[in-house]
Amino acid sequence: MPSVDIASPAVPRAMPRVSGLWVLLALLAIMALLPFVASPYVLLLMLPFMGYGIALLGFNLLFGTTGLLSFGHAMFLGIGAYTAAALTSKFGVKSFELLLLAAALGSGLVSIVTGLLCVRYTRIFFGMLTLAFGMLFHSFLFKFYAVTGGDQGMRVLRPLLLGMEWRGGKTAFLTGPFYYYSLVLFALLGLAMWRITQSPFGLHLKAIRENAGKAAYVGVQIFRMRLAAFVISAVYGGIGGTILAVTTGLADPELAYWTHSGNLVFMAVLGGSGTFAGPAIGALVFVLLQDFVMSLTQYWRFVMGGVLVLLVVFLPQGLSGAVSLLFNRRNGGR
Amino acid sequence: MKLTRRDFSKLAGTGILAAAAPGIFAPALAQNKPLRIGIIAPRSGAAGTAGECGIRAVQWAVERLNKDSGIAGRKIDLVIEEETNPKDTIERLRRLILQEKVDAIQGLISTGVSLGVAPVAEEEQALVVMWDGTTQDGVKEMLPNPKYVFRSTDNECEAVMGSLLAVKHFKGKFKRVAGINPDYSYGRNNWEAFRQILTRYGIEAEYVAEQWPKVGTMDLTSHIAALKAAKPDLIFSSMLFADLPVFMKQGHAAGLFDGVKMVLPAAGWQINQLKKEFTPEGIIFGHNTLYFDLPQASPLQKAFVQDYMDKYKEAPHWEADRAYFAMATYKAGVEAAQKAAGKWPTQEQVAEAIPGLEVESLGGKGRFRKDKIAEQVFYQGPSTNTNKYDFPTLASVDVFEASQLQKPPGADFWEWIKTAKMPV
Repeated sequence: MPSVDIASPAVPRAMPRVSGLWVLLALLAIMALLPFVASPYVLLLMLPFMGYGIALLGFNLLFGTTGLLSFGHAMFLGIGAYTAAALTSKFGVKSFELLLLAAALGSGLVSIVTGLLCVRYTRIFFGMLTLAFGMLFHSFLFKFYAVTGGDQGMRVLRPLLLGMEWRGGKTAFLTGPFYYYSLVLFALLGLAMWRITQSPFGLHLKAIRENAGKAAYVGVQIFRMRLAAFVISAVYGGIGGTILAVTTGLADPELAYWTHSGNLVFMAVLGGSGTFAGPAIGALVFVLLQDFVMSLTQYWRFVMGGVLVLLVVFLPQGLSGAVSLLFNRRNGGR
Repeated sequence: MKLTRRDFSKLAGTGILAAAAPGIFAPALAQNKPLRIGIIAPRSGAAGTAGECGIRAVQWAVERLNKDSGIAGRKIDLVIEEETNPKDTIERLRRLILQEKVDAIQGLISTGVSLGVAPVAEEEQALVVMWDGTTQDGVKEMLPNPKYVFRSTDNECEAVMGSLLAVKHFKGKFKRVAGINPDYSYGRNNWEAFRQILTRYGIEAEYVAEQWPKVGTMDLTSHIAALKAAKPDLIFSSMLFADLPVFMKQGHAAGLFDGVKMVLPAAGWQINQLKKEFTPEGIIFGHNTLYFDLPQASPLQKAFVQDYMDKYKEAPHWEADRAYFAMATYKAGVEAAQKAAGKWPTQEQVAEAIPGLEVESLGGKGRFRKDKIAEQVFYQGPSTNTNKYDFPTLASVDVFEASQLQKPPGADFWEWIKTAKMPV
């Protein structure tokens, strides 16, 4: 029998697939070492990153995993921030653990009520409904001066961490104990989210994203699963908002404004919503990019807008998607 | 270059000496370095033009100071950051303090933003002299006894003055009153202050309409229709952002202003955009702390207005004065503190030196009180379109001191307005 050369696909080199969890853990490890090398200002910048990172882990459960794009997710960050503000400045509750619990409960409860309506819809209808609820909440914050402080917001006082009061300047508090506390929280919530996405519940959500009709046919309870994802994402948003509020020392209505929701979408797209750690990477790059560009030019909004356009056109999978693509090509894949 | 052991020993010796005697070398080094002043101001959005006007004025002031001897012999470098929402602006403030290591910070226009920034500045022990943004709500609660933060005159001063001038010029000529004010604490406080003053002067006005457009709303036709339907004799509006010219243009087109008296206590912020063709005469028109066309203006104001109008082809407004005033008081504070201490002063020493120092600003003399609230001169009056510009000027100028319009230290504004001795 004559030998015949048959073209065969290149055999991929045996490289381990980098999972989202490892990327997140690597990010967390870098963050843990950062206080030894970075300036206090850089460490302060990492706090909004951690706040957004946590919120985006939740946001991506809804967007990347379940396929529901919310344009009003900043509402939950606002709930977290105002919960911290109300408890610290009006009721004298300083325990950060209680603030987190209250923020999680508050955003969770609100998300159950709003979610009962929102998750009945998908695509643009879901987006518009979440936007509407977000703007309703913003109007409440803006108009009810006696309760919320109106446009001037509410002050968030320095909380106690694990029941301990930390003396010294605010910067030392934020870049020291609060930094590590937030990092541990980020790690725990990251691991929890990884577990959620890998669980049967996570598979149900992915099935819903891929084809809700088929998923329903095989017994997936679409409405309950979507509602559960919505509530979990809201809880993550509330916790992220609490970290943001303690960092800035203020809860203001802009936190719940639709442009802030837009920023969350931007971060998710920037990092890549198709991967587990992508949105967290997006949050990091967004925070650093905005800080850099704002210092560079007064036309920083043009630059940020330009980046978004370039991303959508050339890197629709975001930064993590682009890295994966490069990684796969190096391994001989397509 | 080859570094020999002898050279190295010399260098090391000098270094050790410098390290061992910081008192000898550090002030000299500090005096040789330019002063770094951080500026935070809006550069886009509804307050963008106001922020730009302030930035131009502070650049003008710095150019003049640097041509002379700077501040206490040190030249000045400006580091400009944009004022946006409270969260991002607090981050910019921290950048100026921690990263740029500025010697002082000036600027800020929005009360909401400044109330978020002020406690952070206090915590960071950073000297901040604000241009604007002292609406009453929240100031006492959020910043009861500031050590490093200096605030502008109360934002309600212009409404108090506009209301007093409404009494002076229009008393007995109106009954039905309507208000259209921006939907945030500044607009609500100004409207309430106006009503309180009418009550104090025994004017039994009938309030026929209240409209609260959101700042930056560019289609005001529904608000205008509501006002027109109410048939007011007088309209009070503390609108001051880019939406004010839109309101005037759309209101004029709808015939809203025909036979109606108007009080616009903060219109000076939009002076260049309020064109004659849609702005009626006889408005009580507020210029706050800088009226660019003041007949008896100081040589300083005349020089500034001349340079500004030559360069930018438009008139400056009060934010220029606030920016200049902040720089002038900082300069006076540094130089007084340096004289007292005999060396370069700390931010704390400068903050202690500033209250009570009288400085000449563009719009007149001003000072900071002991509670770190500014006192400046205010200008308003009935408008006229008979001038060489394409926007209104004042037919006659009323001039009030801040002490006549502003609550004294420690007083509650709403109590003060009910009992204060008014200048009209």
